[in-house]
Amino acid sequence: MATPPVALRGVTYAYGTGDLARPVLRDVDLSVAPGEVVLLTGPSGSGKTTLLTLIGALRALQQGSATVLGQELAGASERERTALRRRIGFIFQQHNLLGFLTARQNVAMALELDPATTERQRLARAGEMLAAVGLAEKCESRPDQLSGGQRQRVAVARALAGQPGLILADEPTAALDRQSGGDVVRLLRDLARRRGVPILMVTHDPRILDIADRIVAMEDGRILPANEANAVRAP
Amino acid sequence: MNAVPRTVPTAEATLLPWAPELTGAPAAAAPPPPPRSTPVLGALWLPLRLAWRQLRAERARLASAIAGVLFACVLVFMQLGFRSALFDSATALLSAMRADIFLMHPLTTVSFKPEMLPRIRASQAMALPEVQAAVPVYLAQATWRNPEDGTRRPVQLVGFDTESGVMDFPGLAPLIETLKRPDTMAFDRRSRPEFGPVPRLLAERGPFQVQVGNRQMEVAGLVEIGPSFGADGNVVMSELNFRRIMKERQASQVDLVAIKLRPGADRDAAVARLRALLPGDVMVMSQPQLVAHERNYWETATPIGFIFAFGSLMGLVVGMVIVYQILFSDIASHLREYATLKAIGYSNGFLRRAVLSAALILAVLGFLPGLALSTLLYDVVGKGTFLPLEMDASRALSVFAMIFTMCGIAGLLAMRKLRDANPADMF
Ligand SMILES: Nc1ncnc2c1ncn2[C@@H]1O[C@H](COP(=O)(O)OP(=O)(O)OP(=O)(O)O)[C@@H](O)[C@H]1O
Ligand SMILES: [Mg+2]
Repeated sequence: MATPPVALRGVTYAYGTGDLARPVLRDVDLSVAPGEVVLLTGPSGSGKTTLLTLIGALRALQQGSATVLGQELAGASERERTALRRRIGFIFQQHNLLGFLTARQNVAMALELDPATTERQRLARAGEMLAAVGLAEKCESRPDQLSGGQRQRVAVARALAGQPGLILADEPTAALDRQSGGDVVRLLRDLARRRGVPILMVTHDPRILDIADRIVAMEDGRILPANEANAVRAP
Repeated sequence: MNAVPRTVPTAEATLLPWAPELTGAPAAAAPPPPPRSTPVLGALWLPLRLAWRQLRAERARLASAIAGVLFACVLVFMQLGFRSALFDSATALLSAMRADIFLMHPLTTVSFKPEMLPRIRASQAMALPEVQAAVPVYLAQATWRNPEDGTRRPVQLVGFDTESGVMDFPGLAPLIETLKRPDTMAFDRRSRPEFGPVPRLLAERGPFQVQVGNRQMEVAGLVEIGPSFGADGNVVMSELNFRRIMKERQASQVDLVAIKLRPGADRDAAVARLRALLPGDVMVMSQPQLVAHERNYWETATPIGFIFAFGSLMGLVVGMVIVYQILFSDIASHLREYATLKAIGYSNGFLRRAVLSAALILAVLGFLPGLALSTLLYDVVGKGTFLPLEMDASRALSVFAMIFTMCGIAGLLAMRKLRDANPADMF
């Protein structure tokens, strides 16, 4: 089989330099198979977000090797990292929609990066994506006219609109109540699965662990062996 | 149940076919082949559109930004307008003296306080074959009594041989015969209104008497000169009539000599030959040189030029600070959104172009009403001050260039704030 969408080997990362350097990730190995839904859990400060920003090419890699969607990140230029980010769908804790754009325009922003589309195609595609997340009627609403769960669904539509090869999500349910949080991640999981897109999601939320194909637990910058990780899930 | 890996669909790592499951769209409909506009156009148009949508979303902020640009615009237009109007009017008298070449004393810095030169230089200039005529010109100020209400005001007198045809003021030609009569003169119709409604009186009663100096003079007709710094109004008369008013003036000392060349003579060559011919107590200048000499005095020997340049600059600086503030706070309050855009793959260049586009949109939106308002103000203020304030295309263009640059610099400065939008902080 070809290289998996995400393959990390020996990734070590520290904030600060010299004497102030604080290691946050130590020798992390992780891979995500095509179409796989992986949840990343672990105590606060264990380095989950840091790992996600490295995989998402939002930070430069320091040590080790990381291949994401075929792009080697060790020594990658800013330009290469920006290009890779276009092929990844991001879902943040906050929806981070642009307040002055309608839901449809927000989703279309993810498509404007592709010069081979026309404005009509982009808006049509954005409308279809919003319909796919159940917001067909809210296309022309601005984010401040939507509920928290609806906004996060628009964010899901935006993340998926650009036909990403990978979805990265960091606690996407943190700002939502139990019901809408569960709805959003299940929607995300279903849409991604139909497209065969793998998901790597950081979460503290025990109620959504069941969507995972695999759960990875982190502690103090390391990935715990698989059996310990599954122990998290049992109780 | 423990983690049983589910079977997952295998797919290519990168672009996956988009599945229209929930939309009801016919799955077979293949996307049409994209008819594309050039990517370069999109690279400029898309950030511009984003900037416009962002500006439009906050009306109050947009309005204050436009007001700032408009303010700068009007300020610069007024300063430049006054500046050029003052310089134009400063040289109004000399511009209206239409002869080919002038002789002036080298120490004369400005025409309303001339050093005198010997009258004999006029005859000496005649030695040159290409000189057709050379006439002495006498300049002086005398008191004019307003024919309607009797108030007094200094008026500029210009006396020369009006029959010689050497110096042609606009409107003078038909009056030459009339001005031969004793105690007659031609009044400058563009003199300030404090001299009285002379053109109207002339139309109503025909030629009438006015006291100039201590003499009753007859206003026989009108010429067109315009007020200048040194003189609010002008009258033109023959040399003889001039001396009747200014009895103490010696005929042998003149203020200027005006020279007319034979048809077809080369003016610049004649200037050079006159310089060689005449002694060092005269300066030989063509008429444009004379006007430039006078203008140079007002530009350099007075703070007028500096005052207006400074005023314009202040307008631009204030406008720039306003635009910078607006753009800066716009970025600051949208940092998360900008960081998100970076995170989903927008380049720094795209965001910089968006900020610059916002600045340039403000330049255009502020300039257009600024131009309209300034044109209106030119009209109103020009009528009130008798300054020749006129909007012309080249000034409009240069002010637009200034405003555009001003907004561009503000945009470039505000752009630095974009660095604070760090996509790594988004998670
Ligand atoms: N930008 C930064 N500069 C310096 N230190 C940082 C930075 N971001 C995170 N850290 C530190 O790195 C460690 C790991 O942070 P990280 O955000 O990856 O943890 P996390 O597992 O996501 O925690 P949480 O569950 O609370 O979100 C923490 O100790 C944190 O204080
Ligand atoms: Mg975190």
